[in-house]
Amino acid sequence: MYFVFLPSLIIIILSFFKINRIIMSFVATTVIFPAIYLFFNHMHNDYFMVDNLNAFVLLVSSVVAVGVSISMISLPSRLGLDDKQIKHFYLFFGIFFLGLTLSILSNNMGLYWIGLEFATLSTVYMIKIKYSTFAHNESWKYLIVGAIAISLILFGIILIYSATKPILHEEAMDFYSLIENANAINGYLFEIGFFLVATGMFIKMGFFPMNLWIADIERSAIYQVGALFSGILESAILLGFFRLSQVEKVVNNAHLITFTYVYGLLTLFMVSFLIYRAKDYMRLFSLSGIEHMSLIVIFWVSGGYFAALLHFAAHAFIKPALFLSTAVLESHRKYNFRGTLKGIGRTPALLISMLLLAIISLPPSPMFFSEIYGFKAMIESATLSQHFILMVGVVFFIMLLLSIVFYKFITIYQESLYEEGQPSHIYRSEILMLCIFLVATLTLIFPPVLQAIEGIMS
Amino acid sequence: MTDIFMGFFLATLIISLFTTRLFRLYSWYALNSLFLGMIAMSVSFDINDNEMLVVGVITIIIKFLIIPFVLRDITLKFNLQRSIPLSIENHFLVIVVPLILAFTFYLIEPISSMYLQSNYVTIAVSSLFLSLLLIMEHKTVSSKVLGFLFIENSLFLLAISATKGMPMIIELGIFVDLMMFIVVINLLFKPQEEQ
Repeated sequence: MYFVFLPSLIIIILSFFKINRIIMSFVATTVIFPAIYLFFNHMHNDYFMVDNLNAFVLLVSSVVAVGVSISMISLPSRLGLDDKQIKHFYLFFGIFFLGLTLSILSNNMGLYWIGLEFATLSTVYMIKIKYSTFAHNESWKYLIVGAIAISLILFGIILIYSATKPILHEEAMDFYSLIENANAINGYLFEIGFFLVATGMFIKMGFFPMNLWIADIERSAIYQVGALFSGILESAILLGFFRLSQVEKVVNNAHLITFTYVYGLLTLFMVSFLIYRAKDYMRLFSLSGIEHMSLIVIFWVSGGYFAALLHFAAHAFIKPALFLSTAVLESHRKYNFRGTLKGIGRTPALLISMLLLAIISLPPSPMFFSEIYGFKAMIESATLSQHFILMVGVVFFIMLLLSIVFYKFITIYQESLYEEGQPSHIYRSEILMLCIFLVATLTLIFPPVLQAIEGIMS
Repeated sequence: MTDIFMGFFLATLIISLFTTRLFRLYSWYALNSLFLGMIAMSVSFDINDNEMLVVGVITIIIKFLIIPFVLRDITLKFNLQRSIPLSIENHFLVIVVPLILAFTFYLIEPISSMYLQSNYVTIAVSSLFLSLLLIMEHKTVSSKVLGFLFIENSLFLLAISATKGMPMIIELGIFVDLMMFIVVINLLFKPQEEQ
C-alpha cells in the first residue's frame, strides 16, 4: 500500500535536480499501478483504510494526476516558464499529491486534515508560479481564506472527537469506527462539529458565498492549478464529506438534508447566474465546477450514491481536461470566446468540443446519466415523506438553473466554433492529455464500469 | 495553576487585538503560545499524561521560540510595514470583546454538563472568535497571518480542554503543517526579483 506514496516522493526529490519533464511525467504515471492494486485489494489499520469508496477516489485522482503531468511537458513552451519556476512547480505538485494521497487513504480524521492542509499550503505557492500582481494578491487571498476554511474543519474535527471520545476512546478519530458506531454518538456536539467541518469544506470548494473567490484564484493561476483543484483537491474534500455525512445520516438525517439542500441550492442559484455573465473560459469552467460540486453533494445526501459517484468521476475527468485545454483556447487573448475552436485544427477542436458538450450533460455524457439517476434518487427519498411536492419543486428549480448554464455553454460553443478566429498551435502532449481524459470519460459509460460504481456503496 | 495560565492566555489575546505595532503583536503571540504550552504541561501533570507533556514542550519550543523569531526575521528581510492600523476603533473594540466573551458563555451552556471544566472550553471557543476578529480588524497581510496563528493556538487549546489532547501523531502532524505554513509565507513575501 505504501508504494502509492512513492511517485510523489520521487517527484519531490527529482525536483531538486535538473528537470527532465518526460521522466517526471513517467514517474507521475506510475501512481496508477498502486492505485489499481488498491482498487482490488482493500486493507484497514489504525491510520489507513482502503475500502471501495476511497480506492475509487484514489483511482480517479491518479488518472487526473497522469493527465496533468503529461500536460506539464509543454508547460515552458506554452507559458514561458523558466527552469526555476518549473522546479518549484514540480516540488509543490509532489507535496500536493502526497498530501492528498494521505487524505484519501486516511482512516483517521486528524491525518485526513493534515493531508488536506499540506495540499492547501502547496497550492498557495503554485498559484503564483507565473508571477503577476494579480496572481500574487490571489495567492495571499487563498492563503488567508483557505487557512480559515481549514481551521473550521479542524475545529469541527475536534468537536466530533470530543463528542465520540467517551464512547469510542482512542478509536474516536477513526472514520471506520465512527461509521460503525454512529448510533451511539452524542448527537448535539457531533452535529455542531459536522456542520463546521461541512462549512469549511464548502468554503474550500467555492460554495456560496465564496463562488468568485475560487474563480478569481483559478483565473490568476496557471492552467494546471485549476485542473489540480477540480480533479484532485475537490475529490479529497468530497471524500471527507461523504464519510462524515454517512455518520450524520444516522445521527439526524433531516438536519443533514436541510443543511445540504439549502447550501447547495443557494450555491447553484448564484453560480448559474454568474456563469451566465462569465466573460472568459477559466471563470466559466471554475464556476461550472462549483455547480457540479453542489449537485454531487445534493445527490449524495439524497441517497443517490451511484449518481453522485458517477457525476464525481465524470467531472474529475472532464473538468481538468477543459482547464488544460484553456491554455490553447486562450493562446491569443484571455477574455474572448470568438473563433477559439476554429483555429486549432480539426482533431483538437473535435476533442475539446466533445468535452465542452459533455460537461453540460449532453448525452451520451456520463453526466447525463448521473443527473437522471440523481433526480430519481431525490424524488425517491421524498416519496414516503410529507415533502414530496416540495422535492418535485426542488428538482424543477435545479433543472431551471441548469438550463441557464446549458444555454450559456451552447452559446459559447457556437461562438467559438462558427466565428472567425486566429490559428493557434497545439502541442502533441496536449493532444495526448485530451485523449487520456476523453478515453477515461468514455470508459465510465461502459456497463461493467457502471456496475462497479453502483457496487461501491452497496 | 491551569486557571491562571488560562487567564493569561486570554489576556494576551485580548491585548493583541488593540496592538498597532507588528513586533509588539509578535511578542504577544509568543507570550500567548508560552501560556498555551504551560497549560498543556499543567494539564498533563493533572491527568498524568506524558504525551501531552511532550506536546506542551514542543509548543513552547516551536511557537514561543522559533516562530516569532522567524516572523521577525521575515519582517526585517522584506522590510514589511511595521505599523498595523486597526479598521475597528478602540472604543468599539472595548464593547465588542466583552460581547463575544458573554456570547460564548451562553453558546457553550447546553453542553457545559459534558465537561468537568466547561469554562476552559468556553475560553477556547471565545479565543477562536477573538482571533477571527483580529483577522478582520487588521488591514495588513502580516497581521492577518498572525490572526491565523492565534486561531491555531485557540484550536490547540480547544483540543486540550475538550478532549484532553488529541493523539500524539496528529499533534505532531499539525506542528509540521505549521512549519510549512511559515515556509510558504516566506516564499510569498519574497519579491519577484529574488524568485
